[in-house]
Amino acid sequence: MILSAQRLRSIGWLALLAVCGALVMILSFRVNALRSQVHRAEGQIVALKQQKMYLETEFETRANQQQLKAWNDLEFGYVAPVAGQYLENERQLAVLSKPAEPDAPAPIRVATVDDSVIAAAAFPALSGSNAAVRPLSETHEAEHADDDGGAGKPRSRALDHAAATATLAEKLGTLHAAGARQADAADEKREKHGKPIAKRTATVDKAKSTASREGGAQTKAVGKSARSDSKSAAKSGREAKPAVKTAQKTIHGDRKTGVKTSR
Amino acid sequence: MNQLTASAAIATGRVQLASVRQRLLVTAKVRVLVVAVGFVFLTLTALVRLTQLGLFEQAPDRRSLAEALLPPRGEITDRNGVPLARAFPSYSLWFNPKALGEGGNPLVKTPEEVARALVQIFPDADYKDLVERLKSGRGSYLRKRVLPEEANKVFALGEPALEFPRENQRYYPQGSLAANVLGYVDEEGKGHVGMEQVLEPRLLDPAQRGTPVALSIDSRAQGALEDELLRGMQESNAKGAAGIVLDVDSGEVVALASLPSFNPNRSDRAFNDLVFNRVSNQVYELGSTFKPITIAAAIDAGVVTDLSVRYPAAPLHIAGRTIHDSHNFGASLNVPEALIHSSNIVTAQVADKLGGPLLKQTMMALHMNQRPTIELPARGFPLWPRGENKAGDWSRITTMTVSYGHGIAVTPLHLACAYAALVNGGIWRPATLFKVDPAHIPAGTRVFKASTSARIRQLLRMIVADGTGRKADASGFRVGGKTGSAEKPGNGGYRKTSLVATFAAAFPMDKPRYVVIAMLDEPQGTAATSGQRTAAWNAAPIVGRVVPRIGPLLGVVPDASRDVDISDLSPLIGNGEGE
Repeated sequence: MILSAQRLRSIGWLALLAVCGALVMILSFRVNALRSQVHRAEGQIVALKQQKMYLETEFETRANQQQLKAWNDLEFGYVAPVAGQYLENERQLAVLSKPAEPDAPAPIRVATVDDSVIAAAAFPALSGSNAAVRPLSETHEAEHADDDGGAGKPRSRALDHAAATATLAEKLGTLHAAGARQADAADEKREKHGKPIAKRTATVDKAKSTASREGGAQTKAVGKSARSDSKSAAKSGREAKPAVKTAQKTIHGDRKTGVKTSR
Repeated sequence: MNQLTASAAIATGRVQLASVRQRLLVTAKVRVLVVAVGFVFLTLTALVRLTQLGLFEQAPDRRSLAEALLPPRGEITDRNGVPLARAFPSYSLWFNPKALGEGGNPLVKTPEEVARALVQIFPDADYKDLVERLKSGRGSYLRKRVLPEEANKVFALGEPALEFPRENQRYYPQGSLAANVLGYVDEEGKGHVGMEQVLEPRLLDPAQRGTPVALSIDSRAQGALEDELLRGMQESNAKGAAGIVLDVDSGEVVALASLPSFNPNRSDRAFNDLVFNRVSNQVYELGSTFKPITIAAAIDAGVVTDLSVRYPAAPLHIAGRTIHDSHNFGASLNVPEALIHSSNIVTAQVADKLGGPLLKQTMMALHMNQRPTIELPARGFPLWPRGENKAGDWSRITTMTVSYGHGIAVTPLHLACAYAALVNGGIWRPATLFKVDPAHIPAGTRVFKASTSARIRQLLRMIVADGTGRKADASGFRVGGKTGSAEKPGNGGYRKTSLVATFAAAFPMDKPRYVVIAMLDEPQGTAATSGQRTAAWNAAPIVGRVVPRIGPLLGVVPDASRDVDISDLSPLIGNGEGE
């Protein structure tokens, strides 16, 4: 009986050993199976990557620069974009509304609201409250406008603005007394100089009438510079540039003077 | 009896005890043996497993994923990651005469029939050569780099002797694009000529070849430059053409072309005269394109302070030689007019006032006396005027001829770097073919003052707006530049009909970003160039067409409402505004 118990025990141990061995074997089989799966997957990745490289190279070859050029010459005829197709900023967008040439007829508009007045009055309010966040380039442009614009132009712009604000004040029923007073004072000062003011007022009147038709501060400037350059207006191309520049300067000039008045 | 029985019983019991003990001992021994055998078995198994692991199991793991994907030779890409050169397992066409067994005919059809069929698939193949190879009975390559579709067609011929081994070869997907920059790899896998030669150790190093090398070249700009140069070359019947687009602020070469070029994919035919790089290896007297450099040196040294000062424009007689202009421009010219009309006489006078030492110093600061600084192995040594005395000082006549680009021969690359320094604020930087990190742009050396550079930008813009460079005036790109048409030296003086026409330009002039040089070697007067062979008629239009094509790609937006301010100079021009 003792022997059989011992034998049983030993058989038990052996069975346990066998079970453990079997488990280890199963485990190692599984590990190996998984490993070979990983291996196969790696092989597939390599094959796919190589295939991808192969296809990519084929694509690059078929679409190489010389081939594209040949197709373009034969089939598509695309050309590089020209300056007129780019709009870098709002100012360039605004340039589009200028007349094609100095004495061109005004574009036909259907609305009659004098939006130049609102625009002129709205800008100072905006830039006055947010003076700190004004872009540098704008300040720079405005300074330059003062530098090369001569003595007469900025003042006439101040006059425009005063008139515009006054009209707006009438319309909106608000009072911009301080601003108006400042502008008046400036006008009185300038009247003492005599001759230039008459000419300027005429300019402004005409500009205003143009503006009321076309509704844009820059249009005034174009009108002005067109008249002043009337002698050299026959020259095309390069002469058109100063007009554009003046137009841009005027916009910013207005803004600048606007800041002063609203303060 | 009882005693006997008892003793017998005791004896039996003893015997029984002894036998039990004996049996137990045996069992114990057997068990020990079993356990020992078990341990020995386990130990042996472990040892066998260890040996197996150590010897065999490691083998497939050794080729890891990364290593399997490691190319035998590193890839070269352009600045945007477009592959320019890569290792590529391409098909070859190999003739194996033993495919159908030893003896007997290696081909199913006759060699002539097979050769004819092959010529139909590969029209550029040589029929006679193919027949000879197929008849010879020796294994040989019939063709390298066979496209898959071509391989399919050959397979359809049903000849088992025609095999397609896949071999790792160097492949250039863009064909001959930037061939002079890249170079080629020969049959033995050795790089030649361009960056393949320069980067050889890097491309073969197992630690580094996995990551592609990015060059500074932009394949789109390169394509446009090569295309327009080829057109200009064909229109003017020129012998060759060279062009370069250089970033003025970093010295990166964005495009570099030398035509006629070669196809690096045909390494067997690649080594020929066309491998020669005209941009970095050939030196030319680049003529009038040197005038802005002279004027810049004079402005920088304070010799020219007032641009309205007029100089006599009558031919100069110096040391037995006469300096002429191409046309008569009147009695006198000022400096802007001299540049616009490209007057040798006035430039020579300015150089004379400046003096040889200062001009020489400027030229040396622009590295005109040494090989161009670029990674390419083929770099030409300039023909630098040695000077008339032992110290190497230039005489008056040497100073004067150098001032308008004669008596000194440099590569177009020298000129590109000099123009970059002229327009970028006065800093000379070495040209490089590697992509430069914007944070690590080389400091460079200052050659001109920033104010001089600003003045030169105006003058260069005026030359394009009003002067000889008008045909390069791409609308909205604010191109500025200078033409140069130099006669090539021949036996007994300069040859009147062999010119080197160069246009050196930069754009946009209000904030220069790129220098563009176009050069034609011996252009002829043709109907396309209005019968003219000077740079204004052949090289300038090339720049005028290249700039609109590459400008938007390189981030320069055309803008007709912007330009460099030349209003202070325009009144000085006789036929311009103002006067």
